[in-house]
Parts: sequence; structure tokens; C-alpha cells
Amino acid sequence: MALTHEEVRKIATLARLRFTPEEEARLTGQLARIVDYIDQLQTYEGAEPDLGSEGVHESEDQPAECLPREKFLANAPASLDGFLLVPEVKGGGNDDDVA
Amino acid sequence: MTMSPELWELAVEEIAGRVRAREVSASEVLESCLDRTAKVEPLVAAYLEVFEDEARERAAEIDRRLAAGEDPGRLAGVPVALKDNLSLEGHALTCASRILAGYVAPYTATAVARLLAAGAVLVGRNNMDEFAMGSSCENSAFQRTRNPWHLGAVPGGSSGGPAAAVAAGSVPLAFGSDTGGSIRQPAALCGVVGVKPTYGRVSRYGLVAFASSTDQIGPIARNVRDAALALEVIAGADPHDATCAAEPVGDYLAEIDRGIAGLKVGVIREIGDAALSGAAARNWRQSLDRLAAAGAELVEVSVPSLDAAVAIYYVIATSEASANLARFDGVRYGHRSEQADNLIDLYFDSRSEGFGPEVKRRIMLGTFALSSGYYKAYYGRARGVLERMRQELATAFERADVVVTPTTPTAAFRLGEKVDDPLAMYLSDVFTTPASLVGLPTVAVPSGLDDEGLPLSLQIMGRPFGEATVFRASRAFERAAGFAVAPSFRGAEAG
Repeated sequence: MALTHEEVRKIATLARLRFTPEEEARLTGQLARIVDYIDQLQTYEGAEPDLGSEGVHESEDQPAECLPREKFLANAPASLDGFLLVPEVKGGGNDDDVA
Repeated sequence: MTMSPELWELAVEEIAGRVRAREVSASEVLESCLDRTAKVEPLVAAYLEVFEDEARERAAEIDRRLAAGEDPGRLAGVPVALKDNLSLEGHALTCASRILAGYVAPYTATAVARLLAAGAVLVGRNNMDEFAMGSSCENSAFQRTRNPWHLGAVPGGSSGGPAAAVAAGSVPLAFGSDTGGSIRQPAALCGVVGVKPTYGRVSRYGLVAFASSTDQIGPIARNVRDAALALEVIAGADPHDATCAAEPVGDYLAEIDRGIAGLKVGVIREIGDAALSGAAARNWRQSLDRLAAAGAELVEVSVPSLDAAVAIYYVIATSEASANLARFDGVRYGHRSEQADNLIDLYFDSRSEGFGPEVKRRIMLGTFALSSGYYKAYYGRARGVLERMRQELATAFERADVVVTPTTPTAAFRLGEKVDDPLAMYLSDVFTTPASLVGLPTVAVPSGLDDEGLPLSLQIMGRPFGEATVFRASRAFERAAGFAVAPSFRGAEAG
């Protein structure tokens, strides 16, 4: 399939990435080539996926200590009174562009 | 007269043996490796950081414990380097990405904790492709690592730093992660041994996630016995990783020298001459001849979906990456954009400023493959063809104890050769992706040199949790191939 600029912009919004027009042009070409290559999968007959992995077992869900708050917050770009600090939550983005 | 080897040249087993017997001190071994590192690192650039002082303190501690009659463990005094996506508490962890600028690991990865518990001396953090995405190490945001066999060539990737460090003699042992070939391909290109264990064999706790259905941590060493010993140390169940298997870890060294006689070695029919050319094709046929001469019974197996492996992999791995890398949003850790004045823009700006081009490309591809309207045609289809490949390989392993392929289609390519052509770069993973997708234990063993004197490699795959058999076959092949890890560091002028 051919990937359009419009689709690339829509995917970028979903992925929370921005590109300059030059980056977008290059990326559209590169992704189109890769998707063309991946399209060969349509010629293979698939089998029913087995979503479990052999030999891998789920552990019991047991409560345990987690990373102490101060250790976690030591890596935070901004925090206040033991909480992560972020800018205003309202506004911004262009999610409305995505149908 | 033969010169006795320098300490940095010794194998892991020999270092640990001599340190434990107090014939040589951990500090002497470390100094030899640090001297060697000072000599080769300006040429190779395998490290993002060498922690010399801390390593010296650690080696001195190992020596004190030995003097007090304690046994520090099976890796006593062995200098070890880590790919920079493995957490070591109190140390920077960057994944060679700007988005992790300033991040300090708040805990230690299970595999790394097991190395420390076995007496290893950690010497530094190795360069890699950003977030382990790449096959040349050129996607590092920080530096270009060079191949010790030719300084104008790539070391492979994404674990290019660990492979180059081991090949250059800076350390006898390093650890990387392998998602689609990221340990085996750089090991092949640098002429050393690389191991991707069975999916679930090694805990991923403390490994930064890329594609969770295939990521595995594994060793890179200069010989097969060292790699087997190293895997034994880090493998086994871990309550911190629910995907880590309960299967007991075997004694990989017990039968490793038994030879290959009596083992059936599967040769994939679909690897025709078309996939390989020149020296790589000749070396591949020579490797098969050597296996047969060593007593292996070669049997033909068929994996018709082999040609689809790269396509399947780049759908599944990028889909998982797009989900795993959603956590880098400028809120909890790492780079935060200074230009955003609301939360949504903070996500967009932090991610757009922090991630490099290849990571963005893969997030985009994965987001596309999972997006509504395309999910079934891409992700769903890839899962279906993967299931077919899994069945084909299972059938192959009914006839064969191990299955071999070349590790890579060519020896190391030149720096810059494939950076502008992502698809060409992806295609260097053609032989390594199947074992990742299906979760099989696999070892890359040096198999000779091409016409330019660059290393080539044979890949040996086994049944799930069949590491002991894979190591046995790998050791037999290693003996038959007689490869010497002796990089020339030539080609400094080439870029």
C-alpha cells in the first residue's frame, strides 16, 4: 500500500511525535518503502496465532514492596511535595485532527 | 620462546580460576584490562563510561575477601562491561538516547546483581544503538563505535559496544540484549561469541524494554566455554520478572566438550546460494563441511517462511516498541522539553526532542501497524505468519538437535554505508530474527574471515531451554573452525 503524508501526520499524532516538513517528507518515503517490503506478508499463508509462549509461566500475583517514592522522584524532571509536577493539563496538542 | 599472555588476554574461566586460587589478584587483572582499555578505547570508542575508581575499589574488595578465606564466586575478579540498557543502581543509564539524559538507575537489574554476587568487577557502560534499535551502533546519540578488525567498519548492533569491547581485549566478558539479533550480529561482525538465550531463560528485570515478546539478555565472550559459564551465572527464575521461566538452569559446562558426534545438525534448505555471495557463501559451505568432519550428521530441514522473518519482526518488534516507549513522555524521568506550557505539548515536545530518527521511525511503524484499520492487515498477519514459522521450526527440531545458519549475510559493512537506507539495515537481520521471534536459544560462533580479513560467523539454534546442547555443538564447531580473536585495528584513516 502507498502511505500518504496525511496518514503519516495522523500516525505521528497518535505516537505523540512532531516532525518538520522536511523530516516528514523523508519519513513518508522511508516508511512507504518499509511498508511495501512488509506487504510481502500478504503472500504467506498464516496459521492461527498461539498467544501463549511455551515454557513461560505466569507468576503468582503477590503484593511486595515497590520502589520508594523518594527514589522514584529523584529521576523526575520536576516534583513538589512528593508528587510529580506537570504543566497545565488543559489545551495543546492536535488530537482533534484524528478521527 | 613463547611469551606468556597478558592478563587481559586470559579467558574468563582462567581469570576466575587463578584469582580464586590467589595466583593472581583481581586488582592485577583489572589493571591489565584498564591499561588495555586506555590503549584501544581511543580507536574503538566502545564505552560511554568507564568507572575506573569504582572498579578498582571493587577489585580490592574481592582481593580482601579472598585473603579472608572467602570465595567471591565463579566470576571472581573477572572484569565485565554492560550494554547501557542494563540497570546498575546509582549509575547513569542512557540507552544511548538523549531522552534519558540525567537518568540514574534506581535499582540493579537481576542479571547484573547475579554477576556481582558471582564476584565480577563491573568496569563500564557500553555504547549501543539508541534503545537497542539498529544493526550498526550508528544510532547512538553519543558516539560512533568502530570495529576492531577494521576501524572504518561498523561493529554491528545494537550491542556494538559490548562486542567491540570484548573483541578489542578491553574485557573478557560483556553483556548485551538481543531482540532480533542485537547480541549475535555484533558478535559475528566483531569475531567473538554471542549468546541469545531461550526466551524466559534470563530475567529482564532492570533491562529497558524494547520488544517484550523477544528481548533477552545474554553474554558476549571470546570463547564458547566462557559464554556458557556466564549464562549459567545470570540465568534462572526471578520473582521480579513474570516472564522468566522456572525451568532449572542446566550445567552447561558438564558436557560441553563431548564433541558433536551423534548430534543431528539441521541445515535449512531455503538458505540457497542467492542469500549469500562470495566469501560468505564459501565460508558457509566450509562451516557445514567442518561440522560433518567433526562427526555431526547433517540433515536437511525446511523453513519456507524464512524469507518472511524480517517483515514479521519489523511489524511485531516495532508494535511492541511503540507501546513500550510510550512511557518516555517527559513527566516521570528523562528529558523534559522546556518549551511546552501544557501537558499534551509536553509529551509531543519532550519525545520529539529526545528520540533520535531511527527510534521515531520504529515508533511510527509500530503505531501504524497497531492503528485501527491496519491492525488486522499488519500486526494480525505478522502474528499469523510467525505462528507458521514457529510450526515449521518445531518440525525442523523433530529431525535435528540443532539448526544452523550463517549469523549474518555479510561481514561488517562500512560506517555510513547503510545509514540512509533503513530497509537495507533491517535486512542484515535476516538470519537472526527467526530465533528471536520463536524464542530459541542461539549462539553465534566465529567461522572464519572474508577476503578483507573481516570475521564471519555461524549461528547455532536449539530447542527451547536446550542451551546445553547448543553450547556443546558450538564448542565443537569452535574447535573445528580454529578461529583466533586477533583484530588488527587497521583502517584508522578510513573515517
